[in-house]
Amino acid sequence: MTEQIIFYMLTAVVLFSALGVVLLPGVMHSALCLGLCLAGVAGLFAALGADFIFAAQILVYVGGIAVLILFVVLLAGTKADLTTRQINDAWLPALLICAAFSWSFDKITRYFSGIIATTAPHPTIRAMAGALLGDYAVPFELVSVVLLASMTGAVLFGRRKAE
Amino acid sequence: MTEETIQPKLSEPVFNHSNGRLLMPETRYWPTQMWKSPWSLPTYRRGAAVLAGLITGIAGAAWFLGEAGPRVAPLYSAAEQFALSKGVPAFIISVLWTFIKGAILLAAPLVNALFAVWWERKISAHIQSRMGPMYVGWWHGALQTVADGLKLLLKEDIIPETADKFVHMMAPVVVVIPAILAFAPVPFGNELVYADIDIGTLYVFAVGGVSVVGIIMAGWSSGNKFSLLGGLRSAAQLVSYELPRTFAVVPVIMLAGTLNISAIAGLQAGYWGGIIPRWLIFYPVVGQIAFIVFLIASVAETNRIPFDIPEAESELVAGFNTEYSGMKFALFFLSEFAYVLLSCLLMASFFFGGGAAPLPFLDFLPSWAWFLGKVLILMFCFLWFRWTFPRFRVDRLMDFNWKFLLPVSLLNIAAAGLLIWFLS
Repeated sequence: MTEQIIFYMLTAVVLFSALGVVLLPGVMHSALCLGLCLAGVAGLFAALGADFIFAAQILVYVGGIAVLILFVVLLAGTKADLTTRQINDAWLPALLICAAFSWSFDKITRYFSGIIATTAPHPTIRAMAGALLGDYAVPFELVSVVLLASMTGAVLFGRRKAE
Repeated sequence: MTEETIQPKLSEPVFNHSNGRLLMPETRYWPTQMWKSPWSLPTYRRGAAVLAGLITGIAGAAWFLGEAGPRVAPLYSAAEQFALSKGVPAFIISVLWTFIKGAILLAAPLVNALFAVWWERKISAHIQSRMGPMYVGWWHGALQTVADGLKLLLKEDIIPETADKFVHMMAPVVVVIPAILAFAPVPFGNELVYADIDIGTLYVFAVGGVSVVGIIMAGWSSGNKFSLLGGLRSAAQLVSYELPRTFAVVPVIMLAGTLNISAIAGLQAGYWGGIIPRWLIFYPVVGQIAFIVFLIASVAETNRIPFDIPEAESELVAGFNTEYSGMKFALFFLSEFAYVLLSCLLMASFFFGGGAAPLPFLDFLPSWAWFLGKVLILMFCFLWFRWTFPRFRVDRLMDFNWKFLLPVSLLNIAAAGLLIWFLS
Protein backbone atom coordinates (compact mmCIF):
# COMPACT_ATOMS: atom_id res chain seq x y z
CA MET A 1 0.00 0.00 0.00
CA THR A 2 2.62 2.54 1.13
CA GLU A 3 4.99 1.25 -1.52
CA GLN A 4 2.42 1.78 -4.23
CA ILE A 5 1.54 5.31 -3.10
CA ILE A 6 5.22 6.22 -3.02
CA PHE A 7 5.87 4.55 -6.36
CA TYR A 8 3.07 6.41 -8.15
CA MET A 9 4.07 9.74 -6.58
CA LEU A 10 7.69 9.29 -7.64
CA THR A 11 6.68 8.16 -11.11
CA ALA A 12 4.51 11.25 -11.52
CA VAL A 13 7.43 13.45 -10.43
CA VAL A 14 9.82 11.73 -12.84
CA LEU A 15 7.43 11.81 -15.82
CA PHE A 16 6.25 15.40 -15.39
CA SER A 17 9.74 16.74 -14.76
CA ALA A 18 11.04 14.80 -17.76
CA LEU A 19 8.30 16.42 -19.86
CA GLY A 20 9.35 19.75 -18.40
CA VAL A 21 12.92 19.18 -19.54
CA VAL A 22 11.86 18.98 -23.17
CA LEU A 23 8.82 21.28 -23.21
CA LEU A 24 9.54 24.26 -20.96
CA PRO A 25 10.80 27.45 -22.56
CA GLY A 26 14.04 28.62 -21.00
CA VAL A 27 17.18 26.54 -20.61
CA MET A 28 17.38 27.17 -16.88
CA HIS A 29 13.92 25.74 -16.22
CA SER A 30 14.80 22.67 -18.28
CA ALA A 31 18.02 22.19 -16.33
CA LEU A 32 16.16 22.45 -13.02
CA CYS A 33 13.55 19.97 -14.24
CA LEU A 34 16.38 17.63 -15.20
CA GLY A 35 17.68 17.81 -11.64
CA LEU A 36 14.22 17.05 -10.26
CA CYS A 37 13.82 14.15 -12.71
CA LEU A 38 17.16 12.63 -11.66
CA ALA A 39 16.24 13.04 -7.99
CA GLY A 40 12.94 11.28 -8.68
CA VAL A 41 14.80 8.38 -10.27
CA ALA A 42 16.96 8.24 -7.13
CA GLY A 43 13.75 8.04 -5.12
CA LEU A 44 12.62 5.08 -7.24
CA PHE A 45 15.94 3.35 -6.50
CA ALA A 46 15.42 3.97 -2.79
CA ALA A 47 11.89 2.58 -2.99
CA LEU A 48 13.31 -0.57 -4.59
CA GLY A 49 15.78 -0.97 -1.71
CA ALA A 50 18.89 -0.25 -3.80
CA ASP A 51 20.52 1.91 -1.15
CA PHE A 52 23.94 2.38 -2.73
CA ILE A 53 22.56 3.18 -6.17
CA PHE A 54 20.19 5.71 -4.56
CA ALA A 55 23.03 7.58 -2.83
CA ALA A 56 25.28 7.37 -5.87
CA GLN A 57 22.48 8.69 -8.09
CA ILE A 58 21.96 11.70 -5.80
CA LEU A 59 25.70 12.28 -5.36
CA VAL A 60 26.69 11.98 -9.02
CA TYR A 61 23.63 13.03 -10.96
CA VAL A 62 21.81 15.59 -8.78
CA GLY A 63 24.80 16.94 -6.85
CA GLY A 64 27.25 16.65 -9.75
CA ILE A 65 25.86 16.57 -13.26
CA ALA A 66 22.75 18.70 -12.70
CA VAL A 67 24.87 21.30 -10.88
CA LEU A 68 27.44 21.31 -13.68
CA ILE A 69 24.69 21.79 -16.26
CA LEU A 70 23.28 24.66 -14.20
CA PHE A 71 26.77 26.07 -13.98
CA VAL A 72 27.19 25.93 -17.74
CA VAL A 73 23.79 27.58 -18.22
CA LEU A 74 24.81 30.39 -15.86
CA LEU A 75 28.23 30.89 -17.46
CA ALA A 76 27.40 30.43 -21.13
CA GLY A 77 23.82 31.67 -21.09
CA THR A 78 22.47 34.27 -23.51
CA LYS A 79 19.32 36.31 -23.30
CA ALA A 80 17.61 34.16 -25.93
CA ASP A 81 17.93 31.12 -23.64
CA LEU A 82 15.08 32.44 -21.56
CA THR A 83 12.48 32.36 -24.32
CA THR A 84 13.71 29.86 -26.92
CA ARG A 85 11.05 27.42 -28.02
CA GLN A 86 12.22 23.89 -27.24
CA ILE A 87 10.15 22.12 -29.90
CA ASN A 88 11.10 22.21 -33.59
CA ASP A 89 9.43 20.72 -36.66
CA ALA A 90 10.77 17.23 -35.99
CA TRP A 91 8.49 16.70 -33.01
CA LEU A 92 6.35 14.06 -34.75
CA PRO A 93 9.23 11.66 -35.63
CA ALA A 94 10.64 12.18 -32.11
CA LEU A 95 7.28 11.29 -30.62
CA LEU A 96 7.07 8.17 -32.79
CA ILE A 97 10.57 7.05 -31.80
CA CYS A 98 9.72 7.61 -28.14
CA ALA A 99 6.51 5.60 -28.56
CA ALA A 100 8.45 2.76 -30.19
CA PHE A 101 10.98 2.73 -27.38
CA SER A 102 8.30 2.85 -24.71
CA TRP A 103 6.49 -0.03 -26.36
CA SER A 104 9.71 -2.10 -26.48
CA PHE A 105 10.50 -1.32 -22.86
CA ASP A 106 7.00 -2.35 -21.93
CA LYS A 107 7.49 -5.67 -23.73
CA ILE A 108 10.82 -6.29 -21.96
CA THR A 109 9.63 -5.34 -18.48
CA ARG A 110 6.42 -7.36 -18.89
CA TYR A 111 8.61 -10.42 -19.42
CA PHE A 112 10.29 -9.81 -16.03
CA SER A 113 7.24 -8.51 -14.20
CA GLY A 114 6.61 -11.85 -12.51
CA ILE A 115 10.02 -11.72 -10.81
CA ILE A 116 9.44 -9.46 -7.84
CA ALA A 117 11.57 -9.74 -4.74
CA THR A 118 9.37 -10.81 -1.86
CA THR A 119 11.97 -10.52 0.89
CA ALA A 120 12.87 -7.24 2.51
CA PRO A 121 15.76 -5.44 0.80
CA HIS A 122 19.10 -5.86 2.50
CA PRO A 123 22.18 -3.62 2.41
CA THR A 124 24.11 -4.00 -0.82
CA ILE A 125 27.27 -2.05 -0.12
CA ARG A 126 29.50 -4.90 1.10
CA ALA A 127 28.61 -7.17 -1.80
CA MET A 128 29.12 -4.31 -4.22
CA ALA A 129 32.51 -3.38 -2.77
CA GLY A 130 33.59 -7.02 -2.96
CA ALA A 131 32.55 -7.19 -6.61
CA LEU A 132 34.08 -3.84 -7.62
CA LEU A 133 37.41 -4.22 -5.81
CA GLY A 134 37.66 -8.02 -6.00
CA ASP A 135 36.10 -9.95 -8.89
CA TYR A 136 35.80 -7.01 -11.29
CA ALA A 137 38.85 -5.02 -10.21
CA VAL A 138 40.42 -4.95 -13.67
CA PRO A 139 37.34 -3.66 -15.57
CA PHE A 140 36.77 -1.14 -12.78
CA GLU A 141 40.30 0.20 -13.12
CA LEU A 142 40.02 0.23 -16.92
CA VAL A 143 36.93 2.44 -16.65
CA SER A 144 38.89 4.83 -14.45
CA VAL A 145 41.65 4.93 -17.12
CA VAL A 146 39.00 6.10 -19.59
CA LEU A 147 38.00 8.84 -17.14
CA LEU A 148 41.64 9.80 -16.66
CA ALA A 149 42.10 10.03 -20.44
CA SER A 150 39.06 12.29 -20.77
CA MET A 151 40.33 14.48 -17.91
CA THR A 152 43.76 14.77 -19.51
CA GLY A 153 42.11 15.67 -22.79
CA ALA A 154 40.04 18.36 -21.08
CA VAL A 155 43.18 19.84 -19.52
CA LEU A 156 44.95 19.71 -22.90
CA PHE A 157 42.12 21.54 -24.64
CA GLY A 158 41.61 23.99 -21.81
CA ARG A 159 45.30 24.89 -21.56
CA ARG A 160 46.38 28.28 -22.83
CA LYS A 161 48.78 28.23 -25.76
CA ALA A 162 52.32 28.81 -24.48
CA GLU A 163 53.63 31.66 -26.61
CA MET B 1 53.80 55.52 34.57
CA THR B 2 52.65 54.04 37.83
CA GLU B 3 49.59 51.91 38.46
CA GLU B 4 47.89 54.94 40.07
CA THR B 5 47.91 57.00 36.87
CA ILE B 6 46.48 54.15 34.77
CA GLN B 7 43.82 53.14 37.27
CA PRO B 8 42.35 56.20 38.94
CA LYS B 9 39.58 55.19 41.33
CA LEU B 10 36.43 56.41 39.58
CA SER B 11 32.89 55.55 40.51
CA GLU B 12 31.10 57.23 37.60
CA PRO B 13 31.30 56.51 33.88
CA VAL B 14 34.06 58.53 32.26
CA PHE B 15 34.74 59.47 28.69
CA ASN B 16 38.03 58.07 27.50
CA HIS B 17 39.46 60.62 25.08
CA SER B 18 42.07 58.31 23.63
CA ASN B 19 39.56 55.91 22.05
CA GLY B 20 36.34 57.92 22.21
CA ARG B 21 34.38 55.44 24.33
CA LEU B 22 32.27 55.91 27.40
CA LEU B 23 33.75 53.67 30.05
CA MET B 24 31.70 52.17 32.82
CA PRO B 25 33.45 51.76 36.16
CA GLU B 26 33.38 48.00 36.07
CA THR B 27 34.49 47.55 32.51
CA ARG B 28 36.60 50.61 31.77
CA TYR B 29 39.88 48.69 31.29
CA TRP B 30 38.40 45.77 29.41
CA PRO B 31 39.95 44.12 27.43
CA THR B 32 43.46 45.59 27.77
CA GLN B 33 43.59 44.95 31.49
CA MET B 34 42.34 41.44 30.93
CA TRP B 35 45.66 40.21 29.65
CA LYS B 36 47.35 41.09 32.94
CA SER B 37 45.32 39.04 35.35
CA PRO B 38 41.79 38.19 34.28
CA TRP B 39 40.82 37.14 37.77
CA SER B 40 41.31 40.71 39.02
CA LEU B 41 38.08 41.70 37.20
CA PRO B 42 34.85 40.95 39.07
CA THR B 43 32.90 40.61 35.80
CA TYR B 44 35.31 37.97 34.59
CA ARG B 45 35.05 36.04 37.84
CA ARG B 46 31.28 36.22 37.74
CA GLY B 47 31.17 35.10 34.11
CA ALA B 48 33.44 32.15 34.77
CA ALA B 49 31.30 31.16 37.75
CA VAL B 50 28.09 31.34 35.65
CA LEU B 51 29.69 29.24 32.90
CA ALA B 52 30.95 26.64 35.38
CA GLY B 53 27.50 26.55 37.00
CA LEU B 54 25.79 26.07 33.61
CA ILE B 55 28.11 23.22 32.62
CA THR B 56 27.73 21.54 36.01
CA GLY B 57 23.96 21.98 35.88
CA ILE B 58 23.65 20.48 32.39
CA ALA B 59 25.98 17.61 33.33
CA GLY B 60 23.99 16.99 36.51
CA ALA B 61 20.71 16.98 34.59
CA ALA B 62 22.22 14.60 32.04
CA TRP B 63 23.41 12.26 34.79
CA PHE B 64 19.95 12.39 36.38
CA LEU B 65 18.10 11.71 33.11
CA GLY B 66 20.46 8.95 31.97
CA GLU B 67 20.67 7.25 28.60
CA ALA B 68 17.83 8.30 26.28
CA GLY B 69 18.19 5.87 23.35
CA PRO B 70 17.15 2.59 25.01
CA ARG B 71 14.03 4.24 26.46
CA VAL B 72 12.51 4.86 23.03
CA ALA B 73 11.88 1.22 22.07
CA PRO B 74 9.71 0.32 25.13
CA LEU B 75 7.84 3.62 24.70
CA TYR B 76 7.11 2.76 21.09
CA SER B 77 6.00 -0.79 21.83
CA ALA B 78 3.70 0.49 24.62
CA ALA B 79 2.16 3.07 22.27
CA GLU B 80 1.82 0.42 19.56
CA GLN B 81 0.06 -2.00 21.94
CA PHE B 82 -2.31 0.75 23.03
CA ALA B 83 -3.11 1.76 19.43
CA LEU B 84 -3.59 -1.86 18.34
CA SER B 85 -5.96 -2.48 21.24
CA LYS B 86 -8.04 0.49 20.04
CA GLY B 87 -8.28 -1.06 16.55
CA VAL B 88 -5.87 1.20 14.64
CA PRO B 89 -4.34 -0.68 11.68
CA ALA B 90 -0.60 -1.40 11.93
CA PHE B 91 0.06 0.38 8.64
CA ILE B 92 -1.24 3.68 10.03
CA ILE B 93 0.75 3.22 13.25
CA SER B 94 4.03 2.82 11.37
CA VAL B 95 3.31 5.87 9.18
CA LEU B 96 2.37 7.95 12.24
CA TRP B 97 5.47 6.82 14.10
CA THR B 98 7.62 7.85 11.13
CA PHE B 99 6.01 11.29 11.14
CA ILE B 100 6.48 11.69 14.91
CA LYS B 101 10.14 10.71 14.66
CA GLY B 102 10.53 13.11 11.73
CA ALA B 103 9.00 15.95 13.74
CA ILE B 104 11.41 15.26 16.61
CA LEU B 105 14.31 15.21 14.16
CA LEU B 106 13.09 18.47 12.60
CA ALA B 107 13.36 20.11 16.01
CA ALA B 108 17.14 19.61 16.00
CA PRO B 109 18.02 22.10 13.23
CA LEU B 110 15.28 24.53 14.34
CA VAL B 111 16.35 24.71 17.99
CA ASN B 112 19.96 24.75 16.84
CA ALA B 113 19.30 27.80 14.66
CA LEU B 114 17.59 29.62 17.55
CA PHE B 115 20.54 28.92 19.81
CA ALA B 116 23.41 29.27 17.34
CA VAL B 117 22.34 32.68 16.02
CA TRP B 118 22.25 34.05 19.54
CA TRP B 119 25.55 32.37 20.42
CA GLU B 120 27.22 33.65 17.28
CA ARG B 121 26.12 37.21 18.09
CA LYS B 122 27.42 36.90 21.64
CA ILE B 123 30.76 35.44 20.50
CA SER B 124 31.20 38.07 17.81
CA ALA B 125 30.35 40.80 20.32
CA HIS B 126 32.81 39.59 22.92
CA ILE B 127 35.56 39.15 20.33
CA GLN B 128 34.97 42.77 19.29
CA SER B 129 34.72 44.12 22.90
CA ARG B 130 30.96 44.57 22.71
CA MET B 131 28.14 43.15 24.79
CA GLY B 132 25.93 41.85 21.99
CA PRO B 133 22.16 41.42 22.50
CA MET B 134 21.35 42.21 26.13
CA TYR B 135 17.71 43.31 26.39
CA VAL B 136 15.30 40.76 24.91
CA GLY B 137 14.72 37.85 27.23
CA TRP B 138 15.70 37.80 30.87
CA TRP B 139 19.31 36.70 30.68
CA HIS B 140 21.86 38.25 28.29
CA GLY B 141 19.42 38.63 25.41
CA ALA B 142 18.54 34.94 25.47
CA LEU B 143 15.29 35.44 23.52
CA GLN B 144 16.83 37.73 20.88
CA THR B 145 16.55 35.10 18.13
CA VAL B 146 12.91 34.41 18.97
CA ALA B 147 12.19 38.13 18.62
CA ASP B 148 14.13 38.21 15.35
CA GLY B 149 12.18 35.22 14.08
CA LEU B 150 8.87 36.93 14.88
CA LYS B 151 10.10 40.08 13.14
CA LEU B 152 11.06 38.07 10.06
CA LEU B 153 7.64 36.38 10.03
CA LEU B 154 5.91 39.77 10.08
CA LYS B 155 8.11 41.29 7.40
CA GLU B 156 6.86 41.93 3.90
CA ASP B 157 7.83 39.26 1.41
CA ILE B 158 9.38 41.19 -1.48
CA ILE B 159 9.74 39.55 -4.90
CA PRO B 160 11.72 41.69 -7.35
CA GLU B 161 10.15 42.79 -10.63
CA THR B 162 12.85 41.05 -12.69
CA ALA B 163 12.72 37.83 -10.69
CA ASP B 164 11.59 34.48 -12.03
CA LYS B 165 8.72 34.19 -9.56
CA PHE B 166 8.37 30.43 -9.19
CA VAL B 167 12.09 29.62 -9.09
CA HIS B 168 12.61 32.52 -6.69
CA MET B 169 9.97 31.08 -4.39
CA MET B 170 11.27 27.50 -4.60
CA ALA B 171 14.97 28.29 -4.02
CA PRO B 172 14.88 28.56 -0.20
CA VAL B 173 12.82 25.36 -0.10
CA VAL B 174 15.37 23.49 -2.22
CA VAL B 175 18.14 24.78 0.05
CA VAL B 176 16.45 23.91 3.33
CA ILE B 177 14.93 20.49 2.57
CA PRO B 178 18.26 18.67 1.94
CA ALA B 179 19.67 20.36 5.05
CA ILE B 180 16.93 18.70 7.11
CA LEU B 181 16.95 15.39 5.20
CA ALA B 182 20.69 15.02 5.76
CA PHE B 183 20.10 14.63 9.50
CA ALA B 184 18.34 11.28 9.05
CA PRO B 185 21.29 8.87 9.53
CA VAL B 186 23.22 11.07 11.99
CA PRO B 187 23.34 9.81 15.59
CA PHE B 188 22.66 12.12 18.53
CA GLY B 189 23.64 9.49 21.09
CA ASN B 190 23.68 5.71 21.43
CA GLU B 191 20.60 4.35 19.61
CA LEU B 192 19.34 7.91 19.02
CA VAL B 193 19.21 7.76 15.22
CA TYR B 194 16.26 8.49 12.94
CA ALA B 195 17.31 6.01 10.23
CA ASP B 196 20.21 3.72 11.05
CA ILE B 197 20.99 3.01 7.41
CA ASP B 198 24.00 1.14 6.12
CA ILE B 199 25.15 3.86 3.71
CA GLY B 200 24.81 6.73 6.21
CA THR B 201 28.04 8.55 5.33
CA LEU B 202 27.39 8.42 1.62
CA TYR B 203 23.78 9.52 2.15
CA VAL B 204 24.76 12.58 4.17
CA PHE B 205 27.27 13.77 1.58
CA ALA B 206 24.91 13.02 -1.30
CA VAL B 207 21.87 14.79 0.15
CA GLY B 208 23.91 17.68 1.54
CA GLY B 209 25.24 18.35 -1.94
CA VAL B 210 21.75 19.02 -3.32
CA SER B 211 21.56 22.39 -1.56
CA VAL B 212 23.90 23.80 -4.20
CA VAL B 213 21.03 23.56 -6.69
CA GLY B 214 18.92 25.78 -4.45
CA ILE B 215 21.71 28.32 -4.11
CA ILE B 216 22.14 28.48 -7.89
CA MET B 217 18.35 28.84 -8.23
CA ALA B 218 18.37 31.72 -5.74
CA GLY B 219 21.25 33.42 -7.51
CA TRP B 220 19.81 33.07 -10.97
CA SER B 221 16.14 33.77 -10.28
CA SER B 222 16.64 37.00 -8.34
CA GLY B 223 17.35 38.95 -11.52
CA ASN B 224 20.21 40.77 -9.82
CA LYS B 225 23.84 40.77 -10.90
CA PHE B 226 25.13 40.48 -7.33
CA SER B 227 22.91 37.48 -6.71
CA LEU B 228 24.01 35.85 -9.95
CA LEU B 229 27.69 36.33 -9.14
CA GLY B 230 27.14 35.04 -5.62
CA GLY B 231 25.31 31.99 -6.92
CA LEU B 232 28.08 31.25 -9.44
CA ARG B 233 30.83 31.61 -6.86
CA SER B 234 28.89 29.52 -4.41
CA ALA B 235 28.35 26.72 -6.91
CA ALA B 236 32.03 26.67 -7.84
CA GLN B 237 33.11 26.71 -4.22
CA LEU B 238 30.71 24.08 -2.93
CA VAL B 239 31.39 21.66 -5.78
CA SER B 240 35.16 22.09 -5.30
CA TYR B 241 35.28 21.76 -1.53
CA GLU B 242 32.99 18.74 -1.57
CA LEU B 243 35.90 16.68 -2.95
CA PRO B 244 38.46 17.14 -0.13
CA ARG B 245 35.61 16.94 2.37
CA THR B 246 34.58 13.54 1.08
CA PHE B 247 38.17 12.34 0.66
CA ALA B 248 38.96 13.36 4.25
CA VAL B 249 36.35 10.88 5.44
CA VAL B 250 37.74 8.00 3.33
CA PRO B 251 40.51 7.18 5.90
CA VAL B 252 37.82 7.08 8.58
CA ILE B 253 35.78 4.64 6.51
CA MET B 254 38.89 2.56 5.77
CA LEU B 255 39.82 2.32 9.44
CA ALA B 256 36.26 1.65 10.58
CA GLY B 257 35.30 -0.67 7.72
CA THR B 258 31.70 0.59 7.53
CA LEU B 259 29.66 3.51 6.19
CA ASN B 260 27.12 3.45 9.00
CA ILE B 261 27.73 6.60 11.04
CA SER B 262 26.58 5.25 14.40
CA ALA B 263 28.67 2.11 13.81
CA ILE B 264 31.73 4.30 13.09
CA ALA B 265 31.06 6.18 16.34
CA GLY B 266 30.52 2.94 18.23
CA LEU B 267 33.81 1.42 17.01
CA GLN B 268 35.77 4.16 18.75
CA ALA B 269 34.74 3.12 22.26
CA GLY B 270 37.50 1.93 24.56
CA TYR B 271 40.90 3.23 25.61
CA TRP B 272 44.53 2.59 24.74
CA GLY B 273 46.42 1.80 27.92
CA GLY B 274 43.28 2.62 29.85
CA ILE B 275 43.74 6.37 29.37
CA ILE B 276 43.90 7.51 25.71
CA PRO B 277 40.51 7.12 24.02
CA ARG B 278 40.44 5.09 20.80
CA TRP B 279 39.15 8.04 18.82
CA LEU B 280 40.11 8.33 15.19
CA ILE B 281 41.73 11.71 15.74
CA PHE B 282 44.35 10.00 17.91
CA TYR B 283 45.49 7.69 15.09
CA PRO B 284 48.97 8.99 14.27
CA VAL B 285 49.13 11.60 11.46
CA VAL B 286 46.20 10.15 9.45
CA GLY B 287 43.54 11.06 12.00
CA GLN B 288 44.76 14.60 12.58
CA ILE B 289 45.18 15.42 8.88
CA ALA B 290 41.78 13.95 8.05
CA PHE B 291 40.16 16.00 10.82
CA ILE B 292 41.82 19.27 9.81
CA VAL B 293 40.96 18.82 6.12
CA PHE B 294 37.39 17.91 7.03
CA LEU B 295 37.10 20.93 9.34
CA ILE B 296 38.43 23.38 6.73
CA ALA B 297 36.27 21.93 3.97
CA SER B 298 33.21 21.96 6.27
CA VAL B 299 33.71 25.65 7.02
CA ALA B 300 33.93 26.23 3.26
CA GLU B 301 30.84 24.11 2.61
CA THR B 302 28.77 26.19 5.00
CA ASN B 303 29.82 29.43 3.23
CA ARG B 304 31.27 30.88 6.40
CA ILE B 305 34.20 33.23 6.82
CA PRO B 306 37.04 32.79 5.78
CA PHE B 307 35.31 31.10 2.84
CA ASP B 308 32.28 33.37 2.55
CA ILE B 309 33.16 34.72 -0.88
CA PRO B 310 29.66 33.81 -2.25
CA GLU B 311 28.08 36.29 0.16
CA ALA B 312 30.94 38.71 0.66
CA GLU B 313 29.18 41.83 1.96
CA SER B 314 31.86 44.25 0.83
CA GLU B 315 31.79 43.21 -2.81
CA LEU B 316 28.52 41.36 -3.49
CA VAL B 317 26.04 43.03 -1.06
CA ALA B 318 24.88 39.67 0.28
CA GLY B 319 25.46 37.32 -2.63
CA PHE B 320 22.71 34.90 -3.58
CA ASN B 321 20.35 35.99 -0.79
CA THR B 322 20.42 39.72 -1.63
CA GLU B 323 16.86 39.78 -2.96
CA TYR B 324 15.28 37.69 -0.22
CA SER B 325 13.35 39.10 2.69
CA GLY B 326 11.33 37.87 5.60
CA MET B 327 11.02 34.16 6.22
CA LYS B 328 12.67 33.16 2.93
CA PHE B 329 15.81 34.96 4.03
CA ALA B 330 15.57 33.22 7.40
CA LEU B 331 15.39 29.83 5.66
CA PHE B 332 18.84 30.39 4.13
CA PHE B 333 20.21 31.10 7.57
CA LEU B 334 18.39 28.11 9.01
CA SER B 335 20.04 25.85 6.46
CA GLU B 336 23.46 27.42 7.04
CA PHE B 337 23.27 26.73 10.76
CA ALA B 338 21.76 23.30 10.12
CA TYR B 339 24.84 22.46 8.04
CA VAL B 340 27.10 23.77 10.79
CA LEU B 341 25.33 21.48 13.26
CA LEU B 342 25.51 18.60 10.80
CA SER B 343 29.25 19.08 10.28
CA CYS B 344 29.80 19.20 14.04
CA LEU B 345 27.74 16.04 14.57
CA LEU B 346 29.66 14.28 11.80
CA MET B 347 33.01 15.36 13.22
CA ALA B 348 31.95 14.23 16.69
CA SER B 349 30.98 10.83 15.24
CA PHE B 350 33.92 10.39 12.88
CA PHE B 351 36.84 11.74 14.87
CA PHE B 352 35.81 12.20 18.49
CA GLY B 353 34.26 8.86 19.34
CA GLY B 354 30.60 9.96 19.24
CA GLY B 355 29.10 9.36 22.64
CA ALA B 356 32.27 7.95 24.22
CA ALA B 357 33.66 9.71 27.28
CA PRO B 358 37.13 11.27 26.88
CA LEU B 359 38.40 9.63 30.08
CA PRO B 360 37.35 6.21 31.44
CA PHE B 361 36.08 7.50 34.79
CA LEU B 362 33.79 10.06 33.13
CA ASP B 363 31.45 7.53 31.54
CA PHE B 364 28.75 8.02 34.16
CA LEU B 365 27.35 10.72 31.87
CA PRO B 366 25.03 9.45 29.10
CA SER B 367 26.24 9.33 25.50
CA TRP B 368 23.93 12.13 24.32
CA ALA B 369 25.51 14.52 26.84
CA TRP B 370 28.97 13.77 25.42
CA PHE B 371 27.62 14.21 21.92
CA LEU B 372 26.15 17.56 22.92
CA GLY B 373 29.37 18.70 24.59
CA LYS B 374 31.57 17.73 21.64
CA VAL B 375 29.16 19.34 19.17
CA LEU B 376 29.07 22.56 21.18
CA ILE B 377 32.87 22.76 21.39
CA LEU B 378 33.20 22.16 17.63
CA MET B 379 30.44 24.66 16.91
CA PHE B 380 32.26 27.21 19.03
CA CYS B 381 35.26 26.70 16.71
CA PHE B 382 33.05 27.41 13.68
CA LEU B 383 31.75 30.64 15.23
CA TRP B 384 35.20 31.59 16.49
CA PHE B 385 36.78 31.22 13.01
CA ARG B 386 34.17 33.50 11.55
CA TRP B 387 35.19 36.44 13.71
CA THR B 388 38.96 35.97 13.69
CA PHE B 389 39.98 35.21 10.08
CA PRO B 390 39.94 37.58 7.11
CA ARG B 391 38.19 36.53 3.92
CA PHE B 392 39.96 34.59 1.15
CA ARG B 393 40.25 36.13 -2.27
CA VAL B 394 38.20 34.15 -4.81
CA ASP B 395 41.15 32.80 -6.83
CA ARG B 396 43.20 31.94 -3.74
CA LEU B 397 40.15 30.12 -2.38
CA MET B 398 40.20 27.84 -5.43
CA ASP B 399 43.99 27.47 -5.40
CA PHE B 400 43.90 26.50 -1.76
CA ASN B 401 41.36 23.80 -2.48
CA TRP B 402 42.75 22.28 -5.67
CA LYS B 403 46.46 22.72 -5.04
CA PHE B 404 46.65 22.07 -1.32
CA LEU B 405 43.62 20.44 0.31
CA LEU B 406 42.87 17.92 -2.44
CA PRO B 407 46.46 16.56 -2.77
CA VAL B 408 46.80 16.44 1.01
CA SER B 409 43.57 14.50 1.39
CA LEU B 410 44.59 12.08 -1.39
CA LEU B 411 48.00 11.52 0.24
CA ASN B 412 46.19 10.99 3.50
CA ILE B 413 44.19 8.13 1.96
CA ALA B 414 47.48 6.48 0.95
CA ALA B 415 48.84 7.06 4.46
CA ALA B 416 45.70 5.45 5.89
CA GLY B 417 46.35 2.40 3.68
CA LEU B 418 49.91 2.20 5.03
CA LEU B 419 48.63 2.56 8.59
CA ILE B 420 46.12 -0.28 8.13
CA TRP B 421 48.86 -2.46 6.57
CA PHE B 422 51.12 -1.63 9.51
CA LEU B 423 48.42 -2.31 12.09
CA SER B 424 47.30 -5.64 10.63
